[in-house]
Amino acid sequence: MMKLKGSTLPQSSLHSNYFIVWSEVVKNLKFLLAYPVVFIFWAVFPVFWFIPFILQGEAFVGGLQSQSFADIAGTPEFIPFVVLGAILNSFVLTSLYGMGESIRREAYRGTLDYILSSPCNKAFILIGKALSESISSTIFAFTQLAICILFFGIELTLGIIIPVIFIVILLILGLYGMALILAALSLRYKQAHDMAHTMEYVFSVFSPVRYPLASLPLWGQILGKLLPLTYALIAVRSIMLLKQNLAMLYLEVLMLLIIDAVAIFLGFYLFNWMEERTKKSGTISHF
Amino acid sequence: MSLEKPSKKRHRLQEVKCPTGFTWRNMKAELRAIWECNIKAWKLDLAYPISFIRQCISPFIFLLPFIIYGLAVIGGRYSENLEKLVGTGDIVTFVFTGYMIMGFIGTAVWAMGFSIRREQWFGTLESLYVTPTSRLSLVLGMALHSTVHQSLGTAIEFAAIYLIFGLALQIQGILPALAIFALMMLALYGFGILVSALSLVLKEGWIVAEGIHSIMMILSPVAYPLIVLPTVAQQASSILPTAPALVGMRAFLIENYTPEVIGNVFLHLLALDVAWILFGVFIFYLTDIYVRKRGSLAKY
Repeated sequence: MMKLKGSTLPQSSLHSNYFIVWSEVVKNLKFLLAYPVVFIFWAVFPVFWFIPFILQGEAFVGGLQSQSFADIAGTPEFIPFVVLGAILNSFVLTSLYGMGESIRREAYRGTLDYILSSPCNKAFILIGKALSESISSTIFAFTQLAICILFFGIELTLGIIIPVIFIVILLILGLYGMALILAALSLRYKQAHDMAHTMEYVFSVFSPVRYPLASLPLWGQILGKLLPLTYALIAVRSIMLLKQNLAMLYLEVLMLLIIDAVAIFLGFYLFNWMEERTKKSGTISHF
Repeated sequence: MSLEKPSKKRHRLQEVKCPTGFTWRNMKAELRAIWECNIKAWKLDLAYPISFIRQCISPFIFLLPFIIYGLAVIGGRYSENLEKLVGTGDIVTFVFTGYMIMGFIGTAVWAMGFSIRREQWFGTLESLYVTPTSRLSLVLGMALHSTVHQSLGTAIEFAAIYLIFGLALQIQGILPALAIFALMMLALYGFGILVSALSLVLKEGWIVAEGIHSIMMILSPVAYPLIVLPTVAQQASSILPTAPALVGMRAFLIENYTPEVIGNVFLHLLALDVAWILFGVFIFYLTDIYVRKRGSLAKY
């Protein structure tokens, strides 16, 4: 019997797993760079989405500071508050619509069956997808931050960059855990877009993106406290606007770590479970 | 065996006479096409009930951050500064009357703009293009569906805001406000026809649509009066139907509201209707000829 060249499956090793992650990152970044207009859009246009809030605040208050806002937010300056909220919220959008729909996109391209039937650990494919999304969303966020430093007076010193990056990494981990859950559900229920939109609504209303959590009713505040973006926003604003150090924010960091661990564990568990179910039901290539 | 000459009569294709030109028969046929496109869009919508429900509640969800943010920055419902600017300080009523219009911008930019593109995704665009129906009927059918769909969302939005916050609207101002709304929609239809033409050429036109939507959101006095915009932006907003329509509708719906712009809103909107519809239809026919000549109709 003729032996097929290269038919021996590579053993699971650190190198082969690293290669899977790397290939996935390269593939997704190639897709991104193939559409430069899309790249520019995500880097610049989210700034346009918070301009109405700045103008609304100015029209209602008649200035750039509000004492009522300071009573609940800790800072009277609502413009930096909204700007920072919008920048961190862009991570939510890219994770939900990027990572959350990544599995669905593979189905559209006709490559999902091949990916799921490949003899590798699917966790590394997902890590590759999450890593490439993190790289692109961080580039977008930094571009928006640069625009905001230039036009909206956001201050950024070297001393606060490292703690902010640390918080952003924790946020990204939690968001990708949630996006994994979404990706898992899209394997079974297909229409990931509606689920991503619904999650976006929850983040948009119940996280302190544009207003402090205290503005919401009690049940809304409780719901908001289950979202990683809430703690990341509180921590980043405390560092950048209230000049607090990371040690003072141990509670927010701890909560982020707990949410990250739960979301990532649940994400991988659910993905493996859904993968098995869809393989058994034969509905992988269904639309 | 003799070979019979096939009879000409038997093999002649049946002639179908399609109404053309500006005739009553043709208009009836086009209206039927618009209606059928609208029904098709509804059938597709209702085939995904969860998606339909989500879309219906989304105007309310998108409005909430504007209201909660407004309440947070002034620490209550009444803004003294807003009252100084436009004569009314009730931020909930002010923002609601502004934001209910924004959904209809989405109608023009997204639903109408992507009506042609959507047919391309479904693989039915070429089949539709060889029918003797006007291409504009496809877009207008989608406009009809989307306007009713958005009205449903706005009704839910109104009910929810009324129940949660309460609204102080002048009942007697509803009819003239609706007249202004109808005039604004005509201009927005012209705008939507233009965007659908762009999507024929640009294919991945969602970026253009999103870009236009974002800019319109800033230039329209949705959550703030027009006065807070820089002078150049105020002048630019006068070419969009949303700015005069919002000012006019608020003047009729909100008590003590002082319009930020002077002039006849009805005449302004009529002029914009004519300009946008003519411009939209002109560009649509130009791009239609262009893509068919280039053979890029079925390209993605």
